[in-house]
Amino acid sequence: MINVLLPTLAEPQHFSTWERLLFAALAAASLFGFWRRFGPILGKILQSKKDPDFHLFPIGKRVRDFVWEVMCQAKVIRERPLAGVAHALVFWAFCAFALVTLNHCATTFGLGFLDPAGRVGGLYFDFAALFAAACAVGIFGLFVRRFVVRPKWLGELSWGSGLVALLIFLLMTTYLAAFFVPGTSNATRGLWWAHTVTLLIFLPLIPHTKHLHLVLSPFTVFLSRGGFAEIPPLAGDEDFGLVAGKDLTRLVSLQAYSCVECGRCMEHCPANNTGKLLNPKEIVLGLRAYLNEFGPHSEEPLLGKYNAQEAAFECTTCGACEFQCPVGIEHVPIIVGLRRGAVNTGAWEDDHGAKFFLALERGNNALGFSAVERDKFVEKNSLPLFDGTQEYCLWLGCMGAYDPRGREIVVALVRVMRYLGASFGVMRKERCTGDPVRRLGNDLLFQQLAEANLEALAQNRVKKIVSICPHCVRTIQEDWKAYGTPPEVEHHSEFLARHASQLPPVQNQEKIVFHDPCYLGRYRGVYEEPRSVAALAGDLVEAPRSRERSFCCGAGGGLTFLGEEKGERVSHVRAEELAATGASVVGTACPFCNTMFRDAFAAKSEGAPELMDIAQLAARGLPE
Amino acid sequence: MKIVVAIKQVPERDAPVRIAASRKWIDESDLQWAMNEPDAYALEEALLLKEQAGGEVVVVSAGPERVGSTIREALAKGADRAIHILCDDLNARDALGVARLLAAAVKPENPDLVLTGLQSEDVGLGQTGVIVAELLGLPHATMILHVEKTGAGLRVKRELEEGWFQSIELPTPAVLTVQSGGNKLRYATLMGIKRAKTKELRTVSAAEFGPDGASTVVLEQIAAPKKQKSTQILPGSAKEAAAALVEKLKTEARVL
Repeated sequence: MINVLLPTLAEPQHFSTWERLLFAALAAASLFGFWRRFGPILGKILQSKKDPDFHLFPIGKRVRDFVWEVMCQAKVIRERPLAGVAHALVFWAFCAFALVTLNHCATTFGLGFLDPAGRVGGLYFDFAALFAAACAVGIFGLFVRRFVVRPKWLGELSWGSGLVALLIFLLMTTYLAAFFVPGTSNATRGLWWAHTVTLLIFLPLIPHTKHLHLVLSPFTVFLSRGGFAEIPPLAGDEDFGLVAGKDLTRLVSLQAYSCVECGRCMEHCPANNTGKLLNPKEIVLGLRAYLNEFGPHSEEPLLGKYNAQEAAFECTTCGACEFQCPVGIEHVPIIVGLRRGAVNTGAWEDDHGAKFFLALERGNNALGFSAVERDKFVEKNSLPLFDGTQEYCLWLGCMGAYDPRGREIVVALVRVMRYLGASFGVMRKERCTGDPVRRLGNDLLFQQLAEANLEALAQNRVKKIVSICPHCVRTIQEDWKAYGTPPEVEHHSEFLARHASQLPPVQNQEKIVFHDPCYLGRYRGVYEEPRSVAALAGDLVEAPRSRERSFCCGAGGGLTFLGEEKGERVSHVRAEELAATGASVVGTACPFCNTMFRDAFAAKSEGAPELMDIAQLAARGLPE
Repeated sequence: MKIVVAIKQVPERDAPVRIAASRKWIDESDLQWAMNEPDAYALEEALLLKEQAGGEVVVVSAGPERVGSTIREALAKGADRAIHILCDDLNARDALGVARLLAAAVKPENPDLVLTGLQSEDVGLGQTGVIVAELLGLPHATMILHVEKTGAGLRVKRELEEGWFQSIELPTPAVLTVQSGGNKLRYATLMGIKRAKTKELRTVSAAEFGPDGASTVVLEQIAAPKKQKSTQILPGSAKEAAAALVEKLKTEARVL
């Protein structure tokens, strides 16, 4: 019934021998063109070093990510809805077209398995036609975006993209037109050949352009490390991170070739947005160019011709790039890997960096104070020492132990914990968790700090840690795993949110904007908890960029300990954005964000909002 | 150029120091140890000279087994090999006793240059390097900030008082004691530590250098400086109080 109402696809019924020979010759040439370029690329990926931490299992999450991110195009759509939907239409049409194309080629030799006049075949062709129409609209939209709207993230205009868009458009229109011509006419044959030629030109273009992602990115997404911004272990005595081509792993090489150059990483990168040299897209494309020129066995330094050391050390490791990437590229491990290569071999010579490492080597805290200062703070506030009987070990962290504002946050949290009757104690001695040196790529120092801390915590029988610092939390929970089994750890926002119902609300309600710290949000997936705590003290408003899209304060990745930034300060850009919401209070949940914004607001002459950690907001309602 | 650098392991800066029950030394349990800072600068100077002119850097250190960690740090930073003079009674030896050990280890090396820190951060005698020079019969210069190799020997920059510097030349071999702050120190790297594992670390016991001469200086007792506040309010009018103050500054404090 339906078939009668809908137009039917017209296909040539018979192919002469010379037509068959011509098709076979063209198809062979097309496949050859594809493989001549794709073969060496695949070779470079496979010849790269094996990833020391790669495990295919558990496979469940890989399948889920694949279905969600590739098949459903969820990430592509969510982060850029309009362009994302256009892309999804093209992608889904390609999937629907797989059978059509196979059938199209098979008919040449009388092997067609879908009959346009048949019930199943007819329905399928109509189904594919719907996608073809959607795809034609989608690709036209993407063409307009790339060549007329031209967002700067897409980079220079490329002939390849234009040509590919035209070919896809032609593929769809030649298919659709065949529904409207009589079955036996020359037009049918003409359309069939037009479709075929377009297809055979398209195929060899794929590995020559960013459209290589058609082939590679499903694998990249499926095979990616899975965690967020996870730094892989070093393998053996000769692995110092990403020093030269020989250090590139299969996953890194696969990712380098998968980049689709959409520039989402660049659009969200705090360094790139404030006039720094770093562009996460160019880091990945730099590795690709390196592989093309030097290959995966080379001793040529990676930081050199195609990637600059300066750029690698401008990253705040906020992870916005990695979070945004639709093809599964893990930028943070790559950038940290390049830093490891430079720091672990001594190639990074930076006055601030060297001083910082030396201070940590000797003093064990990131701020370079004497440990006696921490003792004084603990004594003055009568913080109980952890003795194995208390439930929580309150981890002060360098900021909580030495920084005046960090100390205020600890004192506020202690007030709340005492009010709630939670039992806690602090370590007699603490060393830096190693977060900044881990992200700066100093594996020696990180290992020393992690091992000493793990030993001290085990000796004191610590089972549960609560900390005001998302960097400490992340490093303890994830990074220390390389050297032992860390205790359970949570951020104070999680602790406070669990007890929020027992806390008295604050009398003077204010308008509060909460800034998501990178290491709490993107790194840990904690968005609601700090908001529910901040809500005790007032009404929440959202910054233009919040939650997963939150914009970094500029402190992460050890950058707060290096010298003055180039260009605009990241913290000033974010502080202005937060102030522009009109909120009277900026709520933070990280002592580093706090110190960055404190300086940024201090630079602003007047009218800056008040800066409060969520612990301080929660403590506001407590009886004096 | 063959350079020997003598280094000492000292308690980490800011370490809480407690006097041991014997009252002859500090309680070493629970302490963390680090390379004496002026020695770290001496090592840095040696490494820079080696990088410019080639040669070998040999590290020598005396002390108990724990000193090994500081020696490995020096190897990791770029020294080529090391000699550990194992002795458990380093703190009981006076500067001459320690210098004898060091000189005995340095002598067979026949170095072109011996560098060490100006003084140690723990006892701070500032004599050891100079006595080593005397025992080896070599010329020496102290408070060095910078060393430059010339055709015949060395040109060095010394720090004098009140912001004055002195530039002098001396022949090699020589002994120099190095002041902190002349260069930027390098940080230890993973690659350095891994390479250090394959470098030669020779351990010799202090007894191998012959019987100890009796210490010329005998340590009786050590004590923490007493903290005391003694405030006096001088009575009377301003004039009377001022006169009394001048008198006290002359006779009691003896600063006038």
